[in-house]
Amino acid sequence: MRKGNLWYWVFLAPVLIALVAVVILPLMYGIYYSFTDWNGIYTTSFVGLDHYKALIGDEEFRNSLWFTTKFTVVSVFLINFFGLSLALLVTQKFKGNHVLRTIFFMPNLIGGLILGFIWQFIFIKVFSSIGDILGVEGLKVWLATEETGFWALAILMSWQLAGYVMVIYISFLEGVPRELLESAQIDGANSFQRFFHVTLPLVMPAFTVSLFLTLSNSFKLYDQNLSLTGGGPYNSTQMVAMEIYNTAFVENAMAFAQAKAVIFFLIVATISLTQVYINKKREVEL
Amino acid sequence: MKAKKIGLLLLSFGLLISVALVGCSSSEGDDSNKDKVTVDIFQFKVEFKKQFEEVVKAYEKENKDVNINITTVGGGEDYGAALKSKFASGNEPTIYNVGGPQDVKDWADKLADLSDTKAAELALKGTLEGVTKDDKVLGLPYNQEGYGFIYNKNVLKEAGIDPASITSYAALEGAVQTLDKKKDDLGLKAVFALPAKETWVTGLHLSNVFLAPEFDQNVLNAFDSNKVEFTHSDAFKKVLDLQNEYSAQPTVNLDYSQQVEELFSTGKVAMIQQGNWAYGSIAGIDEELANSGIGMLPIPVEGYKEDSMPVGVPMYWAVNSNKDAKEIEAAKAFLDWLYTSETGKTTVLEDFKFIPAYEGYDTSKISDPLAKDIYEYAQNGKTLSWTFMGYPTGWGQQELGINIQKYLSDKMSWKELVSESQEAWEKARK
Repeated sequence: MRKGNLWYWVFLAPVLIALVAVVILPLMYGIYYSFTDWNGIYTTSFVGLDHYKALIGDEEFRNSLWFTTKFTVVSVFLINFFGLSLALLVTQKFKGNHVLRTIFFMPNLIGGLILGFIWQFIFIKVFSSIGDILGVEGLKVWLATEETGFWALAILMSWQLAGYVMVIYISFLEGVPRELLESAQIDGANSFQRFFHVTLPLVMPAFTVSLFLTLSNSFKLYDQNLSLTGGGPYNSTQMVAMEIYNTAFVENAMAFAQAKAVIFFLIVATISLTQVYINKKREVEL
Repeated sequence: MKAKKIGLLLLSFGLLISVALVGCSSSEGDDSNKDKVTVDIFQFKVEFKKQFEEVVKAYEKENKDVNINITTVGGGEDYGAALKSKFASGNEPTIYNVGGPQDVKDWADKLADLSDTKAAELALKGTLEGVTKDDKVLGLPYNQEGYGFIYNKNVLKEAGIDPASITSYAALEGAVQTLDKKKDDLGLKAVFALPAKETWVTGLHLSNVFLAPEFDQNVLNAFDSNKVEFTHSDAFKKVLDLQNEYSAQPTVNLDYSQQVEELFSTGKVAMIQQGNWAYGSIAGIDEELANSGIGMLPIPVEGYKEDSMPVGVPMYWAVNSNKDAKEIEAAKAFLDWLYTSETGKTTVLEDFKFIPAYEGYDTSKISDPLAKDIYEYAQNGKTLSWTFMGYPTGWGQQELGINIQKYLSDKMSWKELVSESQEAWEKARK
């Protein structure tokens, strides 16, 4: 690739312009606003690091950050576990595996808000009816307690994203050369050994992509959170994105929310980049 | 190969241009409209969007030189966010909405003085309190709204309870217990449906009844106060506990639509704490019930007023003072016409189904039973003000409402609820 080539820049320009207009510029503005007392309408003074200092004592923000972290760990694990399992299942040779692929992928086609409302119905209505029949009290209060609210979100998220990462895993699984597996078999490797020593190293790049996607998506989750639990009960299932929104628009502390957003951006960026860096090192090439 | 390259090139240029043009859509009218004044309205009430658009069309027909555009973005906090973005985009509306004293303070530079309008003169006593600053009237009320316990007349009748007798907390408690005893015969799931998920129902509306007395029922007193005492804390706790104990469970999870549509409109609960805006939702499920089977009772404040209805103005119309004089005049003229002309008044009362906040209306034409009850209480002077409009921003919902959820989930005692809410108020007012 000759980077000095005019065509290179011509083809890149649309993306660059879009990126600057909708990502870089707003980010710059945001950082600037976080140092002022902007209230969404006008700015009267420059307050320096005040908002960042106030952030240290903000329990609400800390709680939501902790909740989001817990949620991310659990859902990244669940999504990739189910995604890979499904991918292994549908790459087997049997009738109907293409239909299954479509079915598993389908939850992704539904928007986050709608998905949240569908699952809200399931948790509130279906689960409590089952609870009524079985006489299990715990099933009736699914979205009304902190712990079950957490699991409700994790279930929803895995259900939605597992099919998506499945597609990523499938494409890499199908790229594993048959000769390698066959020669391993001839050398006497059983199916577990073949999977862990041949297949897994070769699909490492799929982990890089899927982990990155699931990690950043779980961290930034907003719509599903809003429609499923709305942060309730008592803000205990409120994730960072929602906490920032509430600070900005419900409490009307625009600049303070902006400072939270900057910190949040740094956290997500650091974690995702570290993850990609670590994963990249583990990838092997043929 | 060459053709393919050129094709790609054209495509990328196309993308480039479309990206560059996004957001530059021009809003200039064509030359033929030069003498016309354009008034842009940015408003929040989705419920009357269609009727409002129709009345505007009628107005444009009468006034050929005025062109009115309406944009509606509904629902409390989302409106505030949308309005800010609208202003930030440089495409400022002529007429927009402000809520209470905090909005007036925030938008101070962009509010035109409306004292010289006829509507301001005719606005009912007390309705302009929150938007008056240095003798300037900065907003005109939309309408009046009120809330209390909406009850199902048939269920109460069957249980042998006369709603007119419920004028105190003791009477309410007695009625609730009677209903609870007979709930199997009456086909009830519970007596109440308390939607604690909706922090505006508990943190704003319910708390208002018990906090209003300590601010002398004046929204500005609450707005200026650095602290909150919770003087009627016990009465507050009693009503909340009563609603929670006899409610469909789990309450922290119950939202507006479950409360109003699923439980109340289908007769599964006998009473709910809501306002006259619920009429539309109830009518959507059971029109007959909405028109003849419901009524409203006050929320009793033991030791203060046990028989008064909280009545207030949900939103005000404001005119943007940044616009040129001609446009401001046109905006004022339109609002005046809407609330003081004969056609306007009929529309406000019959099509919008508003409880008017202005004098000179034939209120016998109010058709929905909840509005009627509220209007009657207002006529008899049995009202409490909507002091919650003067709470610190976000306090009612994000602090008190959330604390109430904690209290109902046994994660917080009532004493802690009071002290933590007090602290949050003081912190917000520093």
